Amino acid sequence: MNVQTAEEFLTEIQKKAERGELLYIGKELKRIDDLEKVLGLPIYTNDLIPRNTLYARLVLSKYPHAIIKNISVSKAINYPGVRYVLTHKDVPGLNESSTIIPDRPLFAFNKVRSTGDIIAAVIAEKPNRAQEAAELVEVEYEHLKPVFDPVEAMKPDAPKIHDDGNIIKHVKVRKGDVEKGFQQADYIIENTFRTQHQDAAPMETETAFAVQRGEKILIIGSMQTPHHVQAAVAKVLGWTLDRIEVIQAVTGGAFGPKSDEPPYDVASIAALGAIKTGKPVLMSMTREESMIAHTKRHPAIITHKTGVKADGKLTASKVQIVLDGGAYASLGVLVIVRATFHANGPYEIPNVWNDGYKVYTNNTYTGSFRGFGAPQAIFAAESQMDEIAKKLNIDPLDLRLINMLRPGSKTSTGQLMDESCGLPECLDAVVKASDYRKKKKLYSKQDGKIRRGIGIAMLHHGNALGPEGNDYAYVHLSVEKSGKIHLGTGLTEFGTGAISGLAQIAASVLGVPIDYFTIDRPNTLVHHETGPTVASRVIAIGGNAARDAALKLKQKVLPVASKVMGCKVEDVQIVDGYVYCKEKKAKSISWEELVKEAYEANIELNALGYYMAPSCKWDEETGLGSPYNQYTFGAAIAEVEVDTETGLYKVLNYYVAFDVGKAINPKSVRGQIYGGTVQGLGYAMMEELVHREGYVVNPNLKDYYIPTSLDIPEQIQTFIIEKQGSMGPFGAKIVAEPPVVLPGPTIRNAIMDAVGKGVNSLPITSEKVYKVIKG
Amino acid sequence: MEQPLLNRSVMIVLQPSSLKESLKLLNENPDAEVIANASDLWPRIRNGEVKPKKLLDISGLVSELSYVKKDGSSIKIGALVTVSQLEEESILKEKRFSAFKDVIAKFGSPQIRNVATIGGNVCAASSSEDFIPLLLVFNAKVRLSSVDGDRYVNLEKFIIGKRKINRRPNEILTEISFEDPGEGYISAFEKVGRRNILIINLVNMAIVGKVKDGKIEDIRIAANRIKGKIPERAKNTEEFLKGKAFNENTVAEAKKVLSEEVSLTDDIRASADYRKALLLAMLERLLLKLRGEQ
Amino acid sequence: MAQMLVKLNVNGIEREVLVDPDDRLLDVLRDEFGYKSVKEGCGTGDCGLCTVLMDGKPVLSCIVPAFQAKNHKIVTLEGLNNDPLMKNIQDQFRAHQAAQCGFCTPAMEIMGWHLLSRKKETNKQEIKEAISGTLCRCTGYYDIIDAIYDAGRPE
Repeated sequence: MNVQTAEEFLTEIQKKAERGELLYIGKELKRIDDLEKVLGLPIYTNDLIPRNTLYARLVLSKYPHAIIKNISVSKAINYPGVRYVLTHKDVPGLNESSTIIPDRPLFAFNKVRSTGDIIAAVIAEKPNRAQEAAELVEVEYEHLKPVFDPVEAMKPDAPKIHDDGNIIKHVKVRKGDVEKGFQQADYIIENTFRTQHQDAAPMETETAFAVQRGEKILIIGSMQTPHHVQAAVAKVLGWTLDRIEVIQAVTGGAFGPKSDEPPYDVASIAALGAIKTGKPVLMSMTREESMIAHTKRHPAIITHKTGVKADGKLTASKVQIVLDGGAYASLGVLVIVRATFHANGPYEIPNVWNDGYKVYTNNTYTGSFRGFGAPQAIFAAESQMDEIAKKLNIDPLDLRLINMLRPGSKTSTGQLMDESCGLPECLDAVVKASDYRKKKKLYSKQDGKIRRGIGIAMLHHGNALGPEGNDYAYVHLSVEKSGKIHLGTGLTEFGTGAISGLAQIAASVLGVPIDYFTIDRPNTLVHHETGPTVASRVIAIGGNAARDAALKLKQKVLPVASKVMGCKVEDVQIVDGYVYCKEKKAKSISWEELVKEAYEANIELNALGYYMAPSCKWDEETGLGSPYNQYTFGAAIAEVEVDTETGLYKVLNYYVAFDVGKAINPKSVRGQIYGGTVQGLGYAMMEELVHREGYVVNPNLKDYYIPTSLDIPEQIQTFIIEKQGSMGPFGAKIVAEPPVVLPGPTIRNAIMDAVGKGVNSLPITSEKVYKVIKG
Repeated sequence: MEQPLLNRSVMIVLQPSSLKESLKLLNENPDAEVIANASDLWPRIRNGEVKPKKLLDISGLVSELSYVKKDGSSIKIGALVTVSQLEEESILKEKRFSAFKDVIAKFGSPQIRNVATIGGNVCAASSSEDFIPLLLVFNAKVRLSSVDGDRYVNLEKFIIGKRKINRRPNEILTEISFEDPGEGYISAFEKVGRRNILIINLVNMAIVGKVKDGKIEDIRIAANRIKGKIPERAKNTEEFLKGKAFNENTVAEAKKVLSEEVSLTDDIRASADYRKALLLAMLERLLLKLRGEQ
Repeated sequence: MAQMLVKLNVNGIEREVLVDPDDRLLDVLRDEFGYKSVKEGCGTGDCGLCTVLMDGKPVLSCIVPAFQAKNHKIVTLEGLNNDPLMKNIQDQFRAHQAAQCGFCTPAMEIMGWHLLSRKKETNKQEIKEAISGTLCRCTGYYDIIDAIYDAGRPE
């Protein structure tokens, strides 16, 4: 430790003070909420249950589409260890478990629309007994003709899954005149791309625990949005909100399904079970239940028709996206919006005609999952770009350079990009790091069985909720007498590090080290309703609320400091937990002392921070306008090596750059880039939840492959670009989702470079590569 | 036909403390399911796929059934030897047994290797069990013990179908043995799946043979699928290769023979066509290993 | 019912517990002994999150029948929390932000500890192999590998 003079110390403090609110912004601080994780302490929902807890297991539909004629639970209820069997008959309120469109019951009652439909929940003393008794619930079905292909399901004569037609939502973008654009083109390139069901596979499955407390009920669970779970349970029980307390326990991964309907199911079932049995009930989905019954990523069928001039300038883009929406709408109605708005890729194209459809089928339902429509859309858009480059015989990099979004460009919805458009810097970073030009040249002259290839993909990603709804957040700060600062919010942590990031922002604005902060568990009883934790918006939106709360708190303590130290309020500085007067170099007090003074003066030290993003303006009919307040940009380059005899390939190197506006904590940002990239790698290479006639064939982690430590590239080189956005705190943009979007098209394009032809569907298995090589 | 057990908490677990006691108990309870460390069977019991009323737990017989020894020219492996224990075995560190190293490196996961037993692997009798093709090319025998004595069966005759073994209800597989092929032999194994570890293999192949003076003196090949749903030897291909000069032409011709020999079907993991392509590529790679090339 | 009395040695404590034949070692460790660090991620032996040490070797407690755990010494993360090497590993996990959602963290730390306690000066490939049977959905593994690597090199 360096021994400084008082003078040196003060100069250092002054320098830090000059950073002002940016004191800790951009610093790679440790997370403040991971000590309990590394110690393996009992913090997840399943760890908190008392000994007399009962366990629930689900009875799922036997058929993908059928009318329910009868449900009999008599055999199951009499099975040893069973205490209750819940069905639709036990719902006192509304038998509904849905987000936006109320099309989904909690318990199926008149018909089933997928093998993921929940018919009953058996509650027993041990999970095994519940599981065995589940086999004894008898259901009489009358078969209905199912439909599994969303394109087929769009036809007027397709089997009706709900009362109205099967098209849940149709989103449009109509810009310019596509037909004219095609006429202006020298070439027209048409392709169809397909993507698969991906399972989020968080390591902790959907779980909720409920215990009745008099007239009230306490629910603890693994979830992304406690207030929405509270509202959902209130609906099912027919209770007012004040009787239902929902606390988010430490959550073992989420990725989207835990922001959608699955947590409503487990919480409602646990709550109903607790009320019916008088005992605490744990509803923790087994991995198999989860992989069948929770929401997946929508499979997509995307057709591109692009017009391009010989010089590489795109003139027209016509895209149709059909998403397999499964049996219920869920948050998927918003997924199709994002997919359609981003369908053309990060390019300036004067004439655009996009149609996006989310369609009901009798497959298990699909909904919110990291990327939210962008992985599908960008896979197609970026693969199409390389097909166009091949047709024109120009380098895919050059085609992108000619058409990409830059400051001054307009997106496919006509939104103007300003200087915060960091796409050029992102592309530049990865092109340089990968030595793209040299490698491209090298790989163009290869022979032999083993071929290498290099490929690019880019994206733009509108932040945050955009057209999905009001984008607001509340963050609470309150200070104990000891000086400890509680940060509480209805926004949730599930691995991203974002909540610790909120503390980092508050600490920075307040001038107090992050160690003073402690994060309270989100609790509907205590914390203001704050919208969903989705769209990676905790920092971009919540961060502003954290900043607001810290500023408000600061306003309360500054007058106290001014009085105690005898200087003007505007001269008080708080830096690293020490309180100074700007001019008077002598006296200073610690944060703890300041807090003590405040308490003695009866100043309450609570602040509720709030932020609401400016509302976005765009036309519902044409999609034109500015559906998002700011955009994250990204570019990636992958190098692959392909064994042309077998189609087996591996990713040698992966370079990726994201314009994140301002990296509040660069280490956490890189953590999201690594994690998202590997999840995207799984999507690109090996993950496929297979449905056959409506049945999930591989609802387990044995036959559904997520990447292991031996499947990751030797290195992922990351580049953080900072072109400050207009909305987020200190210019921050969203980070967590975009990384999962790029591996699919980047790897696809690299393989195309290696073997000359592209695979147009995900996952890119070695068999598919083998097939395109053979021709 | 007795009803399969629904309530697993009433399973009867027999835990003998010696092999003699095990054989006696099994003779008295031929309906008991024999389990070692149960790494394959336990999940299938838990999810109701298999519903045994009784379990005969032989995992405690380590002192009697866990050994690797050389008996003359025979190598004998007790049924309870785990995959990790095989990794430590000095007897198998010779070059001619390098296929064992290959299998172990990609077997399950590090945790699974500590409990999966070689006996369990063989009795599981499916094409996802990597030791089976390996033991087939080493011409392994299994020893089945019962109160009536010991019976030796060639591994080929022991595995009669998918999850079907030639075991009498009162028999326990207690040992696997094979002849040490001797100096000059090389063995290798490879497998391919959709990711690099913890995979249900698409294709795997084991090979053992001897190349002398540029000629293939002896060779045995087995893969997870040849004609059916279980690992088998590729005998036509072996026949073709025996005695031939080892050169590019021979390898190309051998691939053709294998191509004719296999009869595969499409399934959800891969098409027959693709599995065949993988088997052919694998044959070539493994033949090159035989000659000492990489 | 066919309940069985099984004597278990867990984290140095010996106790007799009553188990059902279909109980897993995982259930006994969590419910009888209260060692919640042992997680269930899949219940089928495919994710590694239930890893514990049995006689010093990592095994998957979700596929070990409880009745087979007798005469074995079981160690969970709780039993290693005072070990200096484990403390080192945990410090490095924090320094590298290797615990994101934290659900795989106990299993990862045990596999890391198992490797480093036999071989401090290991390399990244060996670390990857050691954790290859333990799935993580959040980190992409890089920070976990770096954390274990640095824990073996305390400079």
